[in-house]
Amino acid sequence: MAAPSAPTASATPIRVPVAAWLIVAFALLAVFVLLQLNSTAFAEQIHEFTHDGRHALGVPCH
Amino acid sequence: MASLTLGAVLRRAALAGLFAGVAAALIAFLVVEPRIDDALAIEAARSTSDEEPLFGRTTQVFGGMVAAAAVAVCLALVVGVVFARVRHRLPATTDFGRAALLAFLGFTTVALLPALKYPANPPGVGDPDTVTERTVQYLTLIAAAAAVTWLAFLVHDRLSARPWPPAYRAAVGVAVAAVGYTALLMTWPASPDSVPADIPAALLWDFRLASLAELATLWTVFGLGFGLLLTPRPVPAAAVA
Repeated sequence: MAAPSAPTASATPIRVPVAAWLIVAFALLAVFVLLQLNSTAFAEQIHEFTHDGRHALGVPCH
Repeated sequence: MASLTLGAVLRRAALAGLFAGVAAALIAFLVVEPRIDDALAIEAARSTSDEEPLFGRTTQVFGGMVAAAAVAVCLALVVGVVFARVRHRLPATTDFGRAALLAFLGFTTVALLPALKYPANPPGVGDPDTVTERTVQYLTLIAAAAAVTWLAFLVHDRLSARPWPPAYRAAVGVAVAAVGYTALLMTWPASPDSVPADIPAALLWDFRLASLAELATLWTVFGLGFGLLLTPRPVPAAAVA
């Protein structure tokens, strides 16, 4: 589409392969494990280690 | 930078995320931890059990700082991919402006909005029996807020087909976001918990402000750092000639 006004410094699109969304999924999973896991034995260790961080970042906790 | 690749964007995002994480960890140590100590003293006063904690306080303070840094890097990678995807459609003329705008939207969506509906609480406030329910409330609110932000962005983007001044489009986009966020805050269920009587209101207020300060630090340092790292270095005159 032709821009009606003088073009500003419009950026060219960056190619984002579908695989890049795996990075997003992995990063979100990591945040979930760090901050949200609540009830398994393995989670107990992470929960207690990052406990102050959970509270400080505003994540629900007890 | 002639043409930016995804890898180049993600490297800069990760580095900015690391800076943001270190800054947030510093705020956690200096501002949030004193309030956590106050809350733990209250919790200890009411406790009757002699249960040995899994980790000592020093480890937990350190763990909290590590968590802040790790979360910052992870969020930075997420924003990095989103930035690469929407960069050419973000309403700013420089990459610094685009990065700052995206970081601001990120802060509003995943930090400020949940903090308004479900404010942070220090240890000793939340009921262990309702933690799953509260986690679901919190995560679904963030997901819905992300959907509203995305909708506002789409509306703004579609309006570019009309010969409107950019300010009109921006105003409509902000209005869509504001109405959507307000609707979410009004419809999402209240937290099932009530604050125990032995927690002073001042402690709660101070802790919530401290928590928000850590989140704001994280997103501000990330947005500015990411934008600065994306800004091309000026080419010296000698190199041009």
